[in-house]
Amino acid sequence: MGKFLRMALPPIALGLLVTGHYIGLAVAPPDREMGDVQRIMYAHVPAVWIALMALTINFICSVVYLFKPSWKTDSLAEASAEVGLLFGTVGVLLGAIWGRPTWGVYWTWDPRLTTAAILLVSYMGYMALRRFVEDPEKRAVWSAVVGIIAAVDLPIIWYSVKWWRSLHQVQSSPKTVDPEMVLPLRISAFAFLAFMILFILHRYRIALHERQAEVALPDALPTDGPQANRTPGVV
Amino acid sequence: MSALMTLTVLAQAAAGEVGSGRIQGGWGYVWVSYGITWGAFALYSLSLWLRRPKNSPAGPKE
Repeated sequence: MGKFLRMALPPIALGLLVTGHYIGLAVAPPDREMGDVQRIMYAHVPAVWIALMALTINFICSVVYLFKPSWKTDSLAEASAEVGLLFGTVGVLLGAIWGRPTWGVYWTWDPRLTTAAILLVSYMGYMALRRFVEDPEKRAVWSAVVGIIAAVDLPIIWYSVKWWRSLHQVQSSPKTVDPEMVLPLRISAFAFLAFMILFILHRYRIALHERQAEVALPDALPTDGPQANRTPGVV
Repeated sequence: MSALMTLTVLAQAAAGEVGSGRIQGGWGYVWVSYGITWGAFALYSLSLWLRRPKNSPAGPKE
């Protein structure tokens, strides 16, 4: 299954991305007020959606790890955090670029933008923590705790435009958006989803390989008994 | 006081135009945005390829 996904997903993701962005850039009509600048939406919105999805996976893995420690869960948490940070950074950068012609500034301390900035800083801290802690078990537990705390920001980002007065518009729905704009947005969103799965899959392999190499170190030494992980209790 | 009156008159005159304009051009912002997106995907793919496991670990399989 994993091999099939790794082989089939790249052409699917690339095909969806080319199609979605071509329709968004060349076929979809310009916005009534924002004109052609609105076309940034077909990359900005999917990037933020997918970032929130990847970081939700990180939250689930963090919770699961604390109840049932596993190197696989820890590796998936690491992979989803890094990929979520990638998509989140792209989303925030594109939002800033979109803000310049529409709001007049690249950045303002608006509730949505501020909570998004907090998200990026939180997960940069999460990734830094994983780099700094050498003991694999401590690293996994501490990063799981940080992952749970950082995830508090996820629903706050989503509802920030509803809870507070924000320059950022509230969420649209297919009922409030021209169908000609919904199609490229959906295709681009599925393209980004395919890329997220692909990236997480490959990053997970790398992380799991690193974990197994770390815990296998003592096994390289001669031993009479059965080989065991350096960290008892973690499978 | 006269400045306030002038501002009031200007505000009333402009009221009908609020929200009626359309941003002209802006393709530069669009291309930069898509360039960042495609570039980020390409660079991250490259980083994953460079970091790929060189050989299978001795431990249990995935």
